[in-house]
Amino acid sequence: MKAEHLGVQTATALLRRFEPVIRSTTGDRFYPMDVEPYVRACSLWVQRPGEEARCIVPGGELGLDRLAQQPMDEAGAVHFLKFTDAEDLGSDARGGLLRLFRRRAKDRKESKGSFWAGRGRLARVGYFSRFVDALYSIALLARGRVPGESAAAASVAYERIMAEREQYRYHGRVVRQDGWIVLQYWLFYPFNDWRSGFFGANDHEADWEKTFIYLSESESGEVNPEWVAYAAHNYTGDNLRRRWDDPEVEKVGEHPVIYVGAGSHASYFAPGEYLTELTLPLPSPLARMTEAVRTFWKTRLGQYGGEEDGGAGYFSIPFVDYARGDGLSVGEGGDRAWDEPRLITDPPPDWVSGYHGLWGLYARDPFEGEDAPAGPMYNRDKSVSRAWYDPVGWAGLDKVPPPTEALEAILEQRADIISRCEVLRIEIDTKSRQLKKLGAELAAMRDRSHLDAPYEEGTRRVAELSGELDRLRARLATDEAVSESLKEYAERLGAGERDPARAHIVRAHRPASEDELRVSRVAEAWAAVSVSLMLISFVGISLFAREHLISMLVFSIAFFAFAEAGFRGRLVNLVSSANIGLAVVATLIIVYEFFWQLVVAAVLVIGLYVLWDNLRELRR
Amino acid sequence: MIGVLLILEVIGLVVLGGYEFLQVQWGGIDLKSPQHRAVEVAVFALFVPSAILTLLAALSFLFLHRRGWLLAAIAQGLSLAVCLWLYSWFQPAYVYPIMAYCVLMILYLNSQDVRMVFRPRQGSETSYES
Repeated sequence: MKAEHLGVQTATALLRRFEPVIRSTTGDRFYPMDVEPYVRACSLWVQRPGEEARCIVPGGELGLDRLAQQPMDEAGAVHFLKFTDAEDLGSDARGGLLRLFRRRAKDRKESKGSFWAGRGRLARVGYFSRFVDALYSIALLARGRVPGESAAAASVAYERIMAEREQYRYHGRVVRQDGWIVLQYWLFYPFNDWRSGFFGANDHEADWEKTFIYLSESESGEVNPEWVAYAAHNYTGDNLRRRWDDPEVEKVGEHPVIYVGAGSHASYFAPGEYLTELTLPLPSPLARMTEAVRTFWKTRLGQYGGEEDGGAGYFSIPFVDYARGDGLSVGEGGDRAWDEPRLITDPPPDWVSGYHGLWGLYARDPFEGEDAPAGPMYNRDKSVSRAWYDPVGWAGLDKVPPPTEALEAILEQRADIISRCEVLRIEIDTKSRQLKKLGAELAAMRDRSHLDAPYEEGTRRVAELSGELDRLRARLATDEAVSESLKEYAERLGAGERDPARAHIVRAHRPASEDELRVSRVAEAWAAVSVSLMLISFVGISLFAREHLISMLVFSIAFFAFAEAGFRGRLVNLVSSANIGLAVVATLIIVYEFFWQLVVAAVLVIGLYVLWDNLRELRR
Repeated sequence: MIGVLLILEVIGLVVLGGYEFLQVQWGGIDLKSPQHRAVEVAVFALFVPSAILTLLAALSFLFLHRRGWLLAAIAQGLSLAVCLWLYSWFQPAYVYPIMAYCVLMILYLNSQDVRMVFRPRQGSETSYES
């Protein structure tokens, strides 16, 4: 599965021919840029375990050529770039922070003029993300930091770079793998301001996004786009890719259109507002316990366990990703044109392969959401990323042959199955004759008391052989059916028929529908005030109704939960969860109150069952 | 089947309530310091709303209304909540059979087969999960 590379001129021509058009959302401040001026504006740092972070190369002295020249790593050391300098304002720190605060307020004001979160955002995301958002802002303020100060500082630095030379550039890599030519468009953004700018999950310096286009090549050397995959958050697999002729893939000529999530820079095929779930892993013992309870609940008790399987080891918080496409567009027919791409050749340049660190601030976030990402080649843990070494498998295309090889693959597979059927037939024939001979031997031994032992042994062997023969015949029947199906499939493909374009998609990201966006004003108002009201009611209860503290707290939580679930259309889930909780408590009480009676009843039931079973046998 | 079980529950509640009511000599009750037993029986009235809901749910099931499941589930939850509250205060004997019946009903209503039949039609309940 070695990835092969094409010549520089061919690669560049292919990249430019199919380069995407990106459409951002109004209010977005950062666009794809070249890594060179970004690195020049950064300082390089190292964080060794148990030590303070140390600057290795100060700002202004770093370049792509020096990036990979790091001293030897020691275990646990993390190298990272630092683009913004809000914390290092020295003696002028207070003034600096005030300046940033003012700057951020200005950005917010400008942003308010352009970006509008839309109706019902709070109503759609639920309590948890509202809590998390509030807690994060409070935690930042407690540390003496202004929420969004990094974004404001990054905005200043980015504007400085753009003032030097306005540029919109992607980093291109072209490889051959498994019969596909993969065009890789690596988009680098200096900052991800999803949380501070667009009510999202996180902020971090540097953001690497990617779009891959998969081309097939005919014998005459003509290339055709077949599939396109857009990266969105950390998702991988079949759901990421669309067939080139899928109506969902919007194109300007031969250029696919990407709707970029505001701040997050996740890529989507259609404009809209996407509900994205940030999944936080539960601690392993808790995850294992949750999974065990879930399995017992579903399989042993036959109970309903939700619409989707999996995810028991995760805790999900929903956020809205705005990819409206009403902002600046870059590419064919857009507001700005792409600059000449920076090609990532083979072997990759040092800034790609030699630098294993993070491309922005290492915030030491346990969930990594606020840490900068690693480069195109690596994951944060310094392992090589799958999108780099297996771009075909990354989008689930490793099981799909290119159109020029599809017929051949089908016929080869059919030939394999036919030859396997031949082998099976011979084996069945041999074993069938063997079984008949054994059957005759058994018949000859029947009612011969001196041959009881070999008769028993023969009976066992006959049963075994009969079972084996049955399995072989079943396998042969299946293989014959599959072979026939492959033949029909080959005929259909030969006649020019294609598979359904969206058959591979299990769970597609879809923007919120008009119905979902049409949240009533009451629901919106409720979402805006409910968290505060709940907290105030808790304080009120603890001050004025202390004698009924528990029951009042339970009542108020139940009230807020029901109201919230009602507005969010999740009443069924809430009622069923609450009922299960009540049923568990009630069962424990019954067991506690009637333990011995229950034991006696269980023994009685078992005794009666045994009696009934024995009597039934006697009556036969 | 569910409708019949729910009607049986209502009948059971009425019979149990009636029996408990008849056990107390209401004529000699001192309203200022009522007997503990009398209070226990009086609070049985808390089951009236859940009994009405259960009856409505049973009728919804009999008339094949999809909303019946939600009504039945709310009714069972309400009954159990009342049982648990009464248990924490008075521990009357009648709460145990009601608790046991409600637990079985909740398990039955939440079973895979029943949930699949009564799950909301696509679009009738808005879900924002992507």
